[in-house]
Amino acid sequence: MKINVHGLAFKQSMAVLVGISVVFAALFFFSNSQIQGKFSQMLLQKGEEVSRANVALINNLFSSGRSIGEEIAVKVGDQGLSGQELDAYLLRTLNGVRATVPQVVAMVVAFEPDMAPDGSNAEYMRLAYFSGDSSTVINGGNYQEKPWYTSTRDSLRGLWQEPFIGDFIKEPIVIFTTPIFRKDSAGEKKFAGVLCVDISIAFLKEMIASMPVSNSGYAVVLSASNMIIAHPKNELTFKANFASLSRNSSHKRLVEFENAVHSMKSGLFLGSSIDDEDAAIYFTAMESIDWTFLIVWPASKFMEEQRSVGHMFAWINFGGYVVIFVLILVITFRASRPLKALAVAADKLGQGDFSAKLPVVEGKDEVSQLAGAFKDMRTSLQTYIEKQKDIDRAKRDLDFSRGIQLGILPKNESEEGCGDSRHSLSPLLLPAEDAGGDYYDFFKLDNDHLAVLVADVAGKGVPATLVMMVSRIVIRTLAIHLSSVAAIFDETNRGLSDHNRDQLFVTAWMGILDLRNGHMEFASAGHMAPAIRHKDGSVAFVKNDPDIAMVVEDNTCYSTQSLDLAPGDTLFLYTDGVTRAENESGKTFGSDRLLRALAESNDGTPEAVNRSVKDRVDKFVGGAPQQDDIAMLSVRYEGPAETV
Amino acid sequence: MQIVKNHKDVTLTVAIEGRLDSQTSPQLEAEIFGKLSGVAHLVFDLAKLEYISSSGLRILLLTKKTMDKQGDMTIKNMPPEVREIFDITGFSRVMRII
Repeated sequence: MKINVHGLAFKQSMAVLVGISVVFAALFFFSNSQIQGKFSQMLLQKGEEVSRANVALINNLFSSGRSIGEEIAVKVGDQGLSGQELDAYLLRTLNGVRATVPQVVAMVVAFEPDMAPDGSNAEYMRLAYFSGDSSTVINGGNYQEKPWYTSTRDSLRGLWQEPFIGDFIKEPIVIFTTPIFRKDSAGEKKFAGVLCVDISIAFLKEMIASMPVSNSGYAVVLSASNMIIAHPKNELTFKANFASLSRNSSHKRLVEFENAVHSMKSGLFLGSSIDDEDAAIYFTAMESIDWTFLIVWPASKFMEEQRSVGHMFAWINFGGYVVIFVLILVITFRASRPLKALAVAADKLGQGDFSAKLPVVEGKDEVSQLAGAFKDMRTSLQTYIEKQKDIDRAKRDLDFSRGIQLGILPKNESEEGCGDSRHSLSPLLLPAEDAGGDYYDFFKLDNDHLAVLVADVAGKGVPATLVMMVSRIVIRTLAIHLSSVAAIFDETNRGLSDHNRDQLFVTAWMGILDLRNGHMEFASAGHMAPAIRHKDGSVAFVKNDPDIAMVVEDNTCYSTQSLDLAPGDTLFLYTDGVTRAENESGKTFGSDRLLRALAESNDGTPEAVNRSVKDRVDKFVGGAPQQDDIAMLSVRYEGPAETV
Repeated sequence: MQIVKNHKDVTLTVAIEGRLDSQTSPQLEAEIFGKLSGVAHLVFDLAKLEYISSSGLRILLLTKKTMDKQGDMTIKNMPPEVREIFDITGFSRVMRII
């Protein structure tokens, strides 16, 4: 099936496809954005749901830690406890606190050198820690340059230190440091040391690990410096921070993220995840401590779902596309294939070839109507052309006959070369539409004998004309040798009867006029009597006893009859086309009217006589068509030559 | 032109109504030619014949010559104008007319 790019099928298909593509594309992008929006919304919701409880828990813990620390710092600062008292106090307090906040694992006091309880001007640091199932107090030192001490001393307020893995307690620890103040002799608050509350955040690991977040999300906790404190992948904790691991994200993105956290406190951020992938991150900034709680959905995972929906949609679109395209092609090919076949058939028809195969089109649509109309048209055309051929053939035949009749037969004496002062004659042949059998003839047998005849071959068209030609030749040939009309007719009859399968019989009347005396011998083969118009205008039919027409029987014996013409007499020979001419009411001209017509001709010349009869017949017939050939031959005997 | 045929045993009667001329002769030809087997007596009834031309006469002549070989042909109820033509052409002498 060749695709014609200019064809209906192709053009229509393309147009519809473009339209559908636009619609599909619009649908696709719209639904895509809707899906994205829905996803974001879902993540937001999920993030908030999951984060809330956990963040609250963490917040509570650290709030407690802070308030505990502050309270104890005040107590330690106010009461001038001795070393032993201090230790006891620390242990007691630690155990007491642990009852409500079991995450507290240690308490530490570290004094300024001149503020030590034992009065010595040296470092004084005591650690009370819980390990195994009991608490102990130990000594500590070398703290004056440590960041946790210096930061608290310099800022003179409570601080959350960056978490780390503890030395004594092998767990991730976060320390709340708060300054201890003592009133001096003047009553002014003076910085005396630092109190630390050590809180284990080991629980975070479990919390993170056990947190179920759908769509492959996971939770991450970041410290104030964006270090990973808790992560499902343990190896990352305390080793990587948010920025250093995400190679793909630029510093700009990190700044954006920090800004977002700082300004929004909670929300959805789309950026790079710790695992070096694009991710959607739900962040919550914690109130009690400058940490950030994250729920991370790696883009690949949740995008996967979004993408798979998108892919599904795209595939469905594509599938629909293909189906529609095929349907359109089918429909338009259904239209254009028959149209093409009709075009080919029309072309062939134009060249006269009726054989082109016409498409059979089912259905009731316009294409099948066209195909049906075309078929009918072709049939009509064929019929018309056949008819036309018949008409043409008939016309050719007619032209042939008429050509012979009018062409071969002599029109006057000089043509025939038989002019003679003793006679004058005039023929008139009016062939009918489809006739062709009537004829006249005249010729001299010798100087003194003129043969005249009129004949009518049965039938019409070319066959009659051929028989006419044959009989003319036969008669003329026989007349050379035979002097008797009867003998001529005998022989002619025999000749015509042979090989005359169609029985085209011939009526004929032939007379031989002796120019010396006006005596005429004649014979009639089934032909009606001629009429004579005398010089004085009187008319009469010749006494005529016809023998059987030629060909009817092959052995007819013709008899010679005779008549005499006086000078001035005109013999009128004719065929039955004259007497049997019909008018519109079906009445025939008849013999009586013929005689009257002859009588009416004033002049008496053969031409005038013929004309008179013709006019009379024409007038009688009126508008009715001429049924039969009309042949006339008027012969006037002038008399014997004048003797000089 | 109407042709009414009546076949009884070996006799076939053909009644011709209307005009028997060059236009209608083929019709008569089709009805008769090749359909005369087993017919010993062929009768033409010309009671309703209005006109006959040489073409019609020709058919009758042909039919007569065929029937000469297997039986006979008769023509009956000939109208006077038709009779006249038969007389002049000599057909009356060669055909059986009743």
